[in-house]
Amino acid sequence: MRVLGIETSCDETAAAVVESGWRVASSVVESSLEIHRDYGGVVPELAGRAHLTTIGPVVRRALEGAGLDPHDPAIDAVAVTSGPGLIGSLLVGLSAAKAYALAWERPLVAVNHLEGHLFAPLLEAPALRFPLLTLLASGGHTMLVLQRSAGEHEVLGETIDDAAGEAYDKIARWLGLGYPGGPPIDRLAREGDAGALRLPASMLGPGLDFSFSGLKTAVVRQVGARPDLGVADVAASFQAAVVEQLTRKLAGALERYEVAGLALAGGVAANGQLREAVVALAADRGLEAHLPSREMCTDNAAMIAAAGLAHAARGDYAPLDLPADPGWSLEAVH
Amino acid sequence: MRILAIETSTSACAAALEVDGVVTVEVVEGERRHTETLAPAIASLLEGAGLRPRDLERVVVDRGPGLFTGLRVGLATAQALADATGAALVGVSSLELLARGARDAGATGTLLAVVDARRGEVFVQGFDLATTTPLDEPRVARPEEVATRVRALPSCILAGDGARRYRDLLVDLPGALVLDLAVPPVAAALTLGRDRAPGAVAPLYLREADAVINFATRERS
Ligand SMILES: [Zn+2]
Repeated sequence: MRVLGIETSCDETAAAVVESGWRVASSVVESSLEIHRDYGGVVPELAGRAHLTTIGPVVRRALEGAGLDPHDPAIDAVAVTSGPGLIGSLLVGLSAAKAYALAWERPLVAVNHLEGHLFAPLLEAPALRFPLLTLLASGGHTMLVLQRSAGEHEVLGETIDDAAGEAYDKIARWLGLGYPGGPPIDRLAREGDAGALRLPASMLGPGLDFSFSGLKTAVVRQVGARPDLGVADVAASFQAAVVEQLTRKLAGALERYEVAGLALAGGVAANGQLREAVVALAADRGLEAHLPSREMCTDNAAMIAAAGLAHAARGDYAPLDLPADPGWSLEAVH
Repeated sequence: MRILAIETSTSACAAALEVDGVVTVEVVEGERRHTETLAPAIASLLEGAGLRPRDLERVVVDRGPGLFTGLRVGLATAQALADATGAALVGVSSLELLARGARDAGATGTLLAVVDARRGEVFVQGFDLATTTPLDEPRVARPEEVATRVRALPSCILAGDGARRYRDLLVDLPGALVLDLAVPPVAAALTLGRDRAPGAVAPLYLREADAVINFATRERS
């Protein structure tokens, strides 16, 4: 089986071809990040405009990269992200995907973007063993998911306010480090003193939900009283608090659920300190750690094609009148 | 010739198919649900004509100006259909579709095509209906500016959802006639797009994204 995946839920325009055995035949990603940088976040209308310009060439390159005929590709289905995400961005990919499916007379598969992220580790470790405990953290989402097999998942906990990546963006904007906030804070944190600020340990209870909104308030308040503090110290203290909360919840879940491995997914999974902490946790518990490459952490269409492949294998297709669902939750996916 | 035309620049969604001179049209009015309705409408037109998508020779699409998201649904669909089938891709504007539609309905003289741009503005362009030739470039204007322009003309026909929305401002002006033509007629796209040279089609937004406008204002102040 072979599936073309299309992803346009935020600022990445992506297309990829994935085959049975979780083999990535091609994966193309174009980001409109540079256009949004000056505005301190993704501007929906600009993202929509960029997707429309980019989608055709990106799909063409994905097909050619997989050695397929663009007028009659040997694929079994067209899978597309239909939510969650920015409505104006989703609509471009969804409209194109429907047209390709219609033109090539192939079925359409609707993929939940978050479920897509859960398939990313499989693409780099096709033999990974289940059950798997996955921390999915990005600019829009932060959740702990138990995967019993590919496509069979249960959300154990999620953020009750901001996403982890959102917290990074807010702090970085406040520190004047630009957008997105993850990479500069991760870099600066290496030079700073993580004990410079005494930040509150959020969500200490036994529950598996996360909270990050209080962190920025605490940082702003404490730094106001410490004009001597360097940016690197602030970055280090902030990052330590985030990573601490993320790993503590992972450890909490491991006490309750028997798993074969740990996995990271989503843009925040590219964070160096988080990766080190997860490797250490896995080694401590004698578990496998699956840390996707940077390309697989961030939004891409290979993960969408992979999830699509699982749905197509079950004959789970979508009609041509499929709407975009900007608020589609992972819990609603079966 | 087998031509498909796509129209999504207003809240309506429409498609038309011409097969050897026989035209069929599907219009879903006033729902702003282009994403849901467009692909099924195209599938149903093709099926009704006993045509496979790969039999299409040309895809004509309204590239605006109009509703930004609607335009992107139409253009993304048209581009992908053309890319996937090898059909030629052609763009026409919503304003010239209104002019051509008015002319096909028998109107003569000078026409102002007026498309609702929201936020108290319209997209407007003048046409000589004898030849459907544009008299100026399409632009963004306030309805009051359109009224001023109508006053300066001996007589003038108005068409489009912008003319309908600001009807009260325009209908009583001397020499003005507001047509009951709100949605750019998709069948006119078949006529206009038939002989036009194909190629890449860019949307005609005519207005920057809000964030860019706000950002520029902030930078200045
Ligand atoms: Zn994502």
